[in-house]
Amino acid sequence: MQIEFVHQPGNTAAKVTLAQGETCTAESGAMIAMSGNMDITTTTHKKGSAGVLKALKRKLAGESLFLNHFEPLNGGGEVWLGTALSGDMFAMDLDNENLIVQGSSFLACEDTIDVDMGWQGFKSIFSGESVFWVNLKGSGKVIVSSFGAIYPVEVDGEYIVDSGHIVAFNETLDFSITKAGSSWIQSILGGEGMVCKFSGKGTVWCQSHNPRSFGNAMASSLRERRA
Amino acid sequence: METYTVNITGEISEYQQRDEAIAAFAKLFSISPAQAEKTFEKAPIAIKKNVDLETADKFKEALIGIGVECIAIASSRAEDLAATQASVYSAEPDVSVQNNTSEPDALAATPMQEDEFKGFEFTIEGDPDYGFVTVQLPADKTIKVEASAMATMDTNLNMKTKFKGGIGRMMTGESLFINEFTAEGGSGEIGIAPGAPGDLSHQYLDNQTIFLQNSAFVACSEDVIVETKWQGLTKGFFSGESLFLIRCSGVGDLWFNTYGAIIEIDVTEDYVVDTGNIVGFTEGLDYKITKVGGYKSLFFSGEGFVCRFSGQGKVWIQTRGVDALVGWAHWFRPVKTNNS
Repeated sequence: MQIEFVHQPGNTAAKVTLAQGETCTAESGAMIAMSGNMDITTTTHKKGSAGVLKALKRKLAGESLFLNHFEPLNGGGEVWLGTALSGDMFAMDLDNENLIVQGSSFLACEDTIDVDMGWQGFKSIFSGESVFWVNLKGSGKVIVSSFGAIYPVEVDGEYIVDSGHIVAFNETLDFSITKAGSSWIQSILGGEGMVCKFSGKGTVWCQSHNPRSFGNAMASSLRERRA
Repeated sequence: METYTVNITGEISEYQQRDEAIAAFAKLFSISPAQAEKTFEKAPIAIKKNVDLETADKFKEALIGIGVECIAIASSRAEDLAATQASVYSAEPDVSVQNNTSEPDALAATPMQEDEFKGFEFTIEGDPDYGFVTVQLPADKTIKVEASAMATMDTNLNMKTKFKGGIGRMMTGESLFINEFTAEGGSGEIGIAPGAPGDLSHQYLDNQTIFLQNSAFVACSEDVIVETKWQGLTKGFFSGESLFLIRCSGVGDLWFNTYGAIIEIDVTEDYVVDTGNIVGFTEGLDYKITKVGGYKSLFFSGEGFVCRFSGQGKVWIQTRGVDALVGWAHWFRPVKTNNS
């Protein structure tokens, strides 16, 4: 599986070239174009295992938990992947390790990677936020996307990142939810609310913009919807 | 005012390797080495026409700097020369290939393709994120521009609103009007900016036909015929997209835009494109709206219906889709309360 990015950083698209026998797993809706010989199968997590109901149970607003698996038939093929929001992407090789990725930032990976959508690390604490997290396990290539630019932060010690700006982080890092200011009142009035404090050694990839803030900025101009 | 034409002789300076010179030439004009090679094969050839002496000197300097021999001659004389070379220009109209990946470059801002094609002189700036185009209209020439896309223009440009494409155009969701701008009593320039931020692409039509997705049309020269084409009910009905394509044919410049960047794909067999990401395609490609994978994929893949192209031709796709953004924004809409 070969990955090539075009039109970075604003209008990035990923061109994934697959040889015969290779499979690429991508977030649902990410495909913008592909070779005619590409076969798509849709599953809830890893190819070969079923469980639509299980996925529906976990379905959260704005995100579908379905994955598409692309496999070229009769020879090689290519798939172009894009996102709804403008921004950058990056690819990395996992070497038998875990990467925690924010649900809407996960774009694609090789099928040797196990995509675990049930990662609950933040769930109880971030309740009310429609954010879910994906745990990528194993060895192989992964593609992660962002809203705006991506920048890595090497954490050695402690570091604080607003939850909406987290794209991905090494699972080697410990994390806790904390308040941004010295008191809760200050934190909430300051618009930061809860933030994530990382500790240990590892990398956190951050995005320059928070999709939630963008959405909220538009909200007042949008027409009402039915619940 | 006397204008000048810069010609390359096809000779390379004895202090420079041919390959290196061609590579540098390709970089200078943001074209592929293969195109540069082709251009050299056709030399002597004009690469920049009707520029003032200062610009001509700048080109000359840049070319000599990379070891390419060239001469700048007054345009009045160049015309005689061009007449003898006319057959060369028209014989190979397909030298230009879209080059979206190129970085903006001092000279590359005015790619050479416009001269070879004898279309209007123009510059596209800000692409791929915020592309807009500035077109230099020769005296008494007319350009057709999508309604409301004109951003800036010289005062001698006169605008006429024309009813183009009839009722069909109204139904595409596209504005019903194309405005015509004519440069009166001298040349003039017009700056055109499409509604969605993204890429802008130019094609010179030489009796070819290009189909564009409804909102992709930006501008074209007077002789390009713009019409709507009925896709047939089934083709449009399931696609979730609008029912119409705009058909552009004839001879002249055509500019179209995208939301997101443009990717050009040469289709040789089959290619599948998400309906929301189609920008346009050349005539001769067969297309049909199909589903991807099995029925489970239809409902859960997030792809829904796609467009399957077959045959030989080019398809332009965009890296983003307005529909996808709208879908994303849906979750931020305020919820309607029942007690109101």
